[in-house]
Amino acid sequence: MSDEQLIREIVSGNHAAFKNLMEKYQLQVFRTVLGFVHTKEDAEEVTQDIFVRVYQSLSSFQHESEFSTWLYRITINMSLNFLHRNRKIRFQQSLQTIFSLHSEEKTPLEKLESAERDRRIRMAIDSLPDKQRMAFILSRYEELPQKKIAAVMNRSEGAVEQLLQRAKENLKKKLTTP
Amino acid sequence: MKTEIHIEELIRREKETFPNPYLSTRVMAKIEGLKQARSKTPLWQTIALAAGFAAAIFLGVSLGNSYVENGTPDIVLNINDAQMENLQYYLYSNE
Repeated sequence: MSDEQLIREIVSGNHAAFKNLMEKYQLQVFRTVLGFVHTKEDAEEVTQDIFVRVYQSLSSFQHESEFSTWLYRITINMSLNFLHRNRKIRFQQSLQTIFSLHSEEKTPLEKLESAERDRRIRMAIDSLPDKQRMAFILSRYEELPQKKIAAVMNRSEGAVEQLLQRAKENLKKKLTTP
Repeated sequence: MKTEIHIEELIRREKETFPNPYLSTRVMAKIEGLKQARSKTPLWQTIALAAGFAAAIFLGVSLGNSYVENGTPDIVLNINDAQMENLQYYLYSNE
């Protein structure tokens, strides 16, 4: 069943059709959210809230863009809102992960180094300007083509390419300076 | 170059994380809960409750405004307490 048919079913009151729609998109949403929040528990919480919001506002979906584009926009907005609300707690969590992360390295020193490197990369991604971070996450976590990212972000493909380039440079700069 | 590899490696590991298989069931339960909570209090009940509160407040204000103070006349009573009751009566003795 196509997205449009599923949406029509849901709006007309077929509750079960929403489960089908959600199962179709939940992994995409979850992965995108994970790119912003980096922890499974938070990603699940935000994904849950996103689908509740989608269910509530599905009747106002105008079909002007693809459903997946609309869903990505909601996902990005709600992920950023979650980050802004929980900024302080997340900083503490990022410090805790250094001592709790399981990794494939053998020695405790290697584990610690690896965890610290991961923390620095996450912090570098998180400190990118919002637009750069959106483009970066959609491109690297979701592997979306630039055309789709441009549609989600409501920008031209050229602008997205620039954002991705700047994100790459910024990350390199942040991670090479000690 | 090495930094790029580390970033790729972290993203690869994060992408290997999968959501709880019961996530969709949890979402459906939450939606159902919200629907039930909404249907528990119909609109007319909410309106009736609000109207009841408004009526009680209006009635209270009206009653308060309609009260006229007339209990105490503007007269000063001059009473000699000593004449109200003859205390000598109680002091009376047979001696």
